[in-house]
Amino acid sequence: MQIDPRIKSRPLYDPVVIRSKAKKHLFIGAGAELDALYASLPQEQCIRVAGGADGLTEALRAELDKVFDTLPLASAVYVCGSEGFMWDIRNLALAAGLADEQVQMCKPSTKERRLFCTHCYEITEGVTHSPQVCSACGRLLLVRDHYSKLHGAYVGVQINAEDPADIPETEELV
Amino acid sequence: MSTDSIRVRVSGIEQVSPLIREFTLEAIDGEFLAFSPGSHVVVEMPAEPRPHRNAYSLLSDPRDSGCYRIAVRLQEQSRGGSVYMHESVKVGDELTITPPANLFAPNWNAGKHLLLAGGVGITPFMAYLPELKRRGADFELHYLYRGSSTGAYREQLKAELGEQCFLYDSEAGERCALGELLAEQPRGTHVYICGPEELIAGVREVTEELGWPASHVHFEAFAAPQPGNPFEVELSRSGRTVKVDGETTLLEALEDAEVDVPHLCRGGVCGQCVTRVLSGDIEHRDEFLSAAEREQGDCIMPCVSRASGKRLVIDL
Repeated sequence: MQIDPRIKSRPLYDPVVIRSKAKKHLFIGAGAELDALYASLPQEQCIRVAGGADGLTEALRAELDKVFDTLPLASAVYVCGSEGFMWDIRNLALAAGLADEQVQMCKPSTKERRLFCTHCYEITEGVTHSPQVCSACGRLLLVRDHYSKLHGAYVGVQINAEDPADIPETEELV
Repeated sequence: MSTDSIRVRVSGIEQVSPLIREFTLEAIDGEFLAFSPGSHVVVEMPAEPRPHRNAYSLLSDPRDSGCYRIAVRLQEQSRGGSVYMHESVKVGDELTITPPANLFAPNWNAGKHLLLAGGVGITPFMAYLPELKRRGADFELHYLYRGSSTGAYREQLKAELGEQCFLYDSEAGERCALGELLAEQPRGTHVYICGPEELIAGVREVTEELGWPASHVHFEAFAAPQPGNPFEVELSRSGRTVKVDGETTLLEALEDAEVDVPHLCRGGVCGQCVTRVLSGDIEHRDEFLSAAEREQGDCIMPCVSRASGKRLVIDL
C-alpha cells in the first residue's frame, strides 16, 4: 500500500465556473478571472464588492454582512485574493446560511500562508518559509501542509521542542 | 451479523392508520440507549426459510430510552416482512433489532428545517420534532398522504404544531405545490424528504432547477429488495460458486453460504455492504452509488442489487 504524499486537508483550487442556476452572483475581490466571469452575466444578477487587498477589514466585514443578508437561497459567491482571505469569506458565507458548494475560490494570489500556532492559538500572516517564528509566542514552528478551514490557516507545530538550540535550515514553501 | 443484536419484547401494537401499524418495543436485557433523530433499526423477524430483516425509522422521542417505537406500512409488493409484522407479531412476542444507526440526521447548522413526509415517511420526523422543539429551531412540516390508507398521526401533529404543520390528503384533491414551496424558502434552509421514490425524485429535480445547494437537500428511501432473475456468483478468493434464486438477495445468499459481508441498512442506502465486482454485468438498484460509479460497473450493493446476466464474479 502506498501512502498519499499529499496532505488531504490542503485545499485544491479548480477553475471557477458560473453556477448557472444561481439567482444572484456575488463577486468579491479584484482579479482578471473574476472580471471575465462578471462580464459574462446580466448585471442585474450580479453584486460586486471590491477590496480584499488588506484582508477582511472591519469595514469590509460590515459591508459584506449587509450584502449577505440580501442574498436569496440560490446564490453563488466568487472570491479572489490571498488564501486566508478567501477562506474568511467562505466562513462568513457559511454563517450566513450558504453551503460550501456555493462559494468558489480562485487560485490564491500569492504563495504566502497564514499560520496557526498550535501552542498559543495565535495567527501569523504572510509566511513564506519554514520553520517560522510564531509572531505571538516566539516558538519556532514547522509550517505543515495540514490546513484548517475554520481558521483559514496552515497548522504550525514547534520544530525544536526537545532542544530549542536546534535550529533547522529554512526552506521556501511551495 | 455485522452489529450486535438487541433482544426486544413487543409491549404494544396500535393501528395508527388503515395500512400502518405502530409497535412499541421494550428491551429485554437492561435498557435501550437514547438515539439521534432520524435513526433506524433493522428488525429481525423469525421466519422460514430465513428471517425477514427490515429497516424501520425510530419514531419515539430520541431522549426516551424507556421504549423504542416503529411504524410499519403493509406493503402490497412485500417480500413478507411487513406482512409478518402486521399478521404474525402479537403483544408479548420477542424480536431482535440492531442498535440504532443514523443515515438521516438533521443538520443543526440549518437556519430553517423544511420537513417533507410522504405517507409512512412521517416516521423519522416524529423523532425530529421533539428535538427541533427543544432547540427552538425554525421548522415546517409538510405531510402528504392518502386519507383512506396512510396519514398516521395527522390529527395529533396538527394539534401540536398548529401553523407549522401543513397536511395534504391526495384523495381530497389537496396537492403540495413543491415548486412554490421550495422557491420561497429563505437562505440557510435545509430540506429533508422521506417518502416514496417519486416524491424524493420530484424534490431533487425542483431544488436543482431552483439552484438549491445539493448539500442542503437530504433524503432517505430504503429500497425494499425486489425479486429478480436467478443468477450465480463466483467468489474469486475461494473459488466457490453460490446460487442466488429469484426471491433471494445476493446478501442473503452469501449469508446462507456463511460468507460474512459487512452490512448495516439492508436497503441500498448506507453503503456498508459495497463489494467489488471482477466480471459480469450489474443491475444496480441502490441509492448509494453515484452515476459514475454505476457506470464503472466494478462494485455492487448486494443487499438490493443483482446480476443482470447469469453470472457475477466478486472479490470475496
